[in-house]
Amino acid sequence: MSYNYIELISLVLLAIGCFFILSGSLGLIKLPDVFSRIHAAGLIDTLGSGFIVLALIVYSGFSLLSLKLLLIPLFLIFTSPVTGHAIALFAHESGYKPKGKNKK
Amino acid sequence: MAKLNKDSLKILSFITYFIILFVFWFILSGYLKSLLLFFGLVSVLFVFWMSYRAKALEEDSLPLKIILRLPFYWIWLFKEIFKSGITTTALIWNGKYSPQLISVKASQKNRTGIANYANAITLTPGTVTIEVDKKTFLVHALSKKLSEDLQTDDMNKVITDLDK
Repeated sequence: MSYNYIELISLVLLAIGCFFILSGSLGLIKLPDVFSRIHAAGLIDTLGSGFIVLALIVYSGFSLLSLKLLLIPLFLIFTSPVTGHAIALFAHESGYKPKGKNKK
Repeated sequence: MAKLNKDSLKILSFITYFIILFVFWFILSGYLKSLLLFFGLVSVLFVFWMSYRAKALEEDSLPLKIILRLPFYWIWLFKEIFKSGITTTALIWNGKYSPQLISVKASQKNRTGIANYANAITLTPGTVTIEVDKKTFLVHALSKKLSEDLQTDDMNKVITDLDK
C-alpha cells in the first residue's frame, strides 16, 4: 500500500476545493449579471482557497509552515469582501440594474 | 477590564498590538538567532511608529474587548460560509437561482462593527452588500432562501454581541 492516511485525507480535501473552484468558474460563465457573478467569485475566494489550504496543512504536518498557511485564509477573509463590494458598488452607482425581482 | 481608566486601557491596547505584530513577524520568519530577533524588534517598532503616526491606533480601530472572542467568531463564520457555500453551489449547478435585492438593518453601535457585519454578509457566498447607508444595507442575494436566512437576523445578533 503506497498511500498513507494523511495523503488520502489531503487528497480528498484537495478534490473538494477543486470542486468548489470548478463550480465558481461555472457560475462565472452561467449566471445572468454582474451581481450574481460576484457570488460565484466569492465561492472561489472562500471555500475553494479554504479547502486547498486545509489540504496543504494536513499534507505538510503541523509546523511553522502550517501557521503561515493559516494566515492566507485569514487575510482573504479581510480582503476578498472588499473587492466584491467595490465591484458591486461601482456597478450599482453606474446605474446597472440587477436582473430578477427587485423589492427595496 | 471595565474598571481600568482610559489611559491604562490605551497602554494595554498598545502592548497587545505590539505583541500581535511581533508574533506575526515570528510566524513569517521563524528565526530564533538573537541578532535576527533584534532586527525583527526594530522592524516591529518601525511599523508601530508608522501606525501611530497614521492614527491607526485609535480606540475604534483596535477594540481590545473582542480579541479573545475573535477565534470563536471566525470558527462560527467559517461554518456559515460552508453552509451558504453549499446552497450557492447547488444553485449554480441546478440553475434555480432567482436574484433579488433586499434591505437589511444593522444594529451595531460603532463603525468597526458595521464594517464587520457588511464584510460578513459579502463573505458568505450568495449574498453581497452593495451599498451601506448608515445602518441599512442594500444586499443582493442569489435566491429567496439565502435572503430569508439573512433576514432571520442571526448574523446581525452574533456580530452585535461580539462588541458587548
